[in-house]
Amino acid sequence: MTQDVEMKEEQSVPSDSISSTSPTTLQTLKDIAALIETAAYSREVRRIVRAIRLTIQLRKKLKASVLSAFLNFALLPGSEVHSRLSAYVPKEDGHDMDVDTATSVTQATAKHSLPELEIYCYLLVLIFLIDQKRYNEAKACSSASIARLKNLNRRTVDVLASRLHYYYSLSYELTGDLAEIRGNLLALHRTATLRHDELGQSRGLIVLTLAYCPLQFCRYLFYLGKIRTIQLEYTDAKESLLQAARKAPASALGFRVQCNKWAVIVRLLLGEIPERTVFMQKGMEKALRPYFELTNAVRIGDLELFKKVAEKFASTFSSDGTNNLIVRLRHNVIRTGLRNISISYSKISLTDVAKKLRLDSPNPVADAESIVSKAIRDGAIDATLDHANGWMLSKETGDIYSTNEPQIAFNSRIAFCLNMHNEAVRALRFPPNSDKEKESAEKRRERQQQEQELAKHIAEEDDDEF
Amino acid sequence: MDMDYALLISVESLKKLVLLTKFRSLPPLFEETPNAIHELTLARDIYEHAVVLSVKIEDQDAFERDFFQLKPYYTDARGRLPQSPQEYPILGLNLLRLLVQNRIAEFHTELELLSPKALENPCIKHAVELEQSFMEGAYNRVLSARQTVPHETYVYFMDLLAKTVRDEIAGCSEKAYDSLSLKDARQILLFPSDKELFDYIKEDHPEWEIKNGFVFFQRAKDSTPCKEIPSLQLINQTLSYARELERIV
Repeated sequence: MTQDVEMKEEQSVPSDSISSTSPTTLQTLKDIAALIETAAYSREVRRIVRAIRLTIQLRKKLKASVLSAFLNFALLPGSEVHSRLSAYVPKEDGHDMDVDTATSVTQATAKHSLPELEIYCYLLVLIFLIDQKRYNEAKACSSASIARLKNLNRRTVDVLASRLHYYYSLSYELTGDLAEIRGNLLALHRTATLRHDELGQSRGLIVLTLAYCPLQFCRYLFYLGKIRTIQLEYTDAKESLLQAARKAPASALGFRVQCNKWAVIVRLLLGEIPERTVFMQKGMEKALRPYFELTNAVRIGDLELFKKVAEKFASTFSSDGTNNLIVRLRHNVIRTGLRNISISYSKISLTDVAKKLRLDSPNPVADAESIVSKAIRDGAIDATLDHANGWMLSKETGDIYSTNEPQIAFNSRIAFCLNMHNEAVRALRFPPNSDKEKESAEKRRERQQQEQELAKHIAEEDDDEF
Repeated sequence: MDMDYALLISVESLKKLVLLTKFRSLPPLFEETPNAIHELTLARDIYEHAVVLSVKIEDQDAFERDFFQLKPYYTDARGRLPQSPQEYPILGLNLLRLLVQNRIAEFHTELELLSPKALENPCIKHAVELEQSFMEGAYNRVLSARQTVPHETYVYFMDLLAKTVRDEIAGCSEKAYDSLSLKDARQILLFPSDKELFDYIKEDHPEWEIKNGFVFFQRAKDSTPCKEIPSLQLINQTLSYARELERIV
């Protein structure tokens, strides 16, 4: 049975999402609800993850009418949760939906509200409120949901809960009151750790570092990369950022653009020049344009051009939060310019160096001298200074193949490839008990069916009592 | 006399700190008591004085401690209190401290937490520009910044920074020059007299040679071509490749 449902899901969902009329959105929501129900019975966390993914795709089509119809479908009308959640959804054009709700009530036999479904409704309303920019209501709604979560201890809820925690922190952050709930978040993280809830743990950790991001590992990587960049651990930062960009799903364009922006800057800070193809990725050309020009300025080592680009795109950079990093890049521009000079001239006066670098300071020659001497010490250029005559002497570039350099470079590349392969193997997911236990799978299916029927009976009895 | 005075203040402030623990409106509790604003302001004032005092008695550890006590009042209590006039000078001072202690990563972390408005403030800007000049190697700009300190408390750290800068310059010079005349060396290393230069060389760089009015640096002749093949390392690497490949196939 479980397999059947899954197959159906996969066929029906895409066809639904193509047509954009609201009844089919509702239908998709119902399908998702069914998915969550099966997940709850079979205790398969993976299905819930899928349900959430489908929900996010629906996000843009979420309307008040659809939402209230779905609430009527999924929750017991008149129950406490139902009335509380419907209060958040405006009752506009409810008229033409009435028909639909009525039919759905008769259709839906499973009127018992599963905790999973209830939490899912919270999540849906919360997303809706945030999208409508009704942040204060979102705050109230998320607080209520968190309070409800405290009384639940089910593994299948964990995934939904971690999502809720995310929107909980997001709604507070959007109103700028994040400090208020810090204590609460700490408590949530503690609970999650106690319950061995990995998703919740990483969620909590990330929220606590004041970076908001959902459960995906790649988001975690992105923020890790950001933090490492700020703390000047560029090599590690580059690795995390590139990995985040690679692991992100193709549809998450905005996220990948952000990853790429940061990765470009980190690579520039490392002294690398990103390839042109990075900036030509599909759908990203426009967003990455400022960074492309920036790269160009760094590549040439032209301080003037660099300044111009930084000024021209100042608002872009500050909204990306990369302004402070770009200030750091100035140093790299000077280095590159210096390297170019030292390659082209075997002997050059410091006055000319200052002129070529276009240092704008009260004492350019003295600045040039100390900048050059620092570059020599850091190994950026191979030269000596002659203070008495005021010039810089470049040394002959030695044959790099007489050193160990190539061997080291070769080794690090091989290590990278092998590491990538190993990680890929580790990331493979195998189906749960594959073909070896066909019979027991059958038995399990039967058992699940029985369980489900039993649950339905109980629920119906509950209904009657009401 | 000065120290006694400082001691007196610190004892006094210690007493106040003990009292502060009784206020439930302070971090981390942040309870909404009727006197909350008054108590928070009082506590913030005390910690601000403690930070300035720690600079005056030149105790960096105490500075760090007091600053971290103070920080919640600037971040978490921002919505409740009017901004302190001391906030930016003290934040800038902390940046300067991190720079002097060469804790650049923390410097940038702190910087990232500041608002664009804070970055415009002369006290913060001063520290930010210092860091840039320092990274670039424009050391004379760092030193001339001492004349333009935005706040009197900054002088202590600027003097410390001057020492750090001198060590940097010495490190760069010995790599960049073959030799320097005594006069030039004195100028570059910013010593007022030859005697101080000699003392410095004797103490910090005994390997430098002084001959005929010149300082000769013993530059290590690095990047020698590799004569012998590092066989052991190569064997190890190749074996590990083989092992990994075997796992793949």
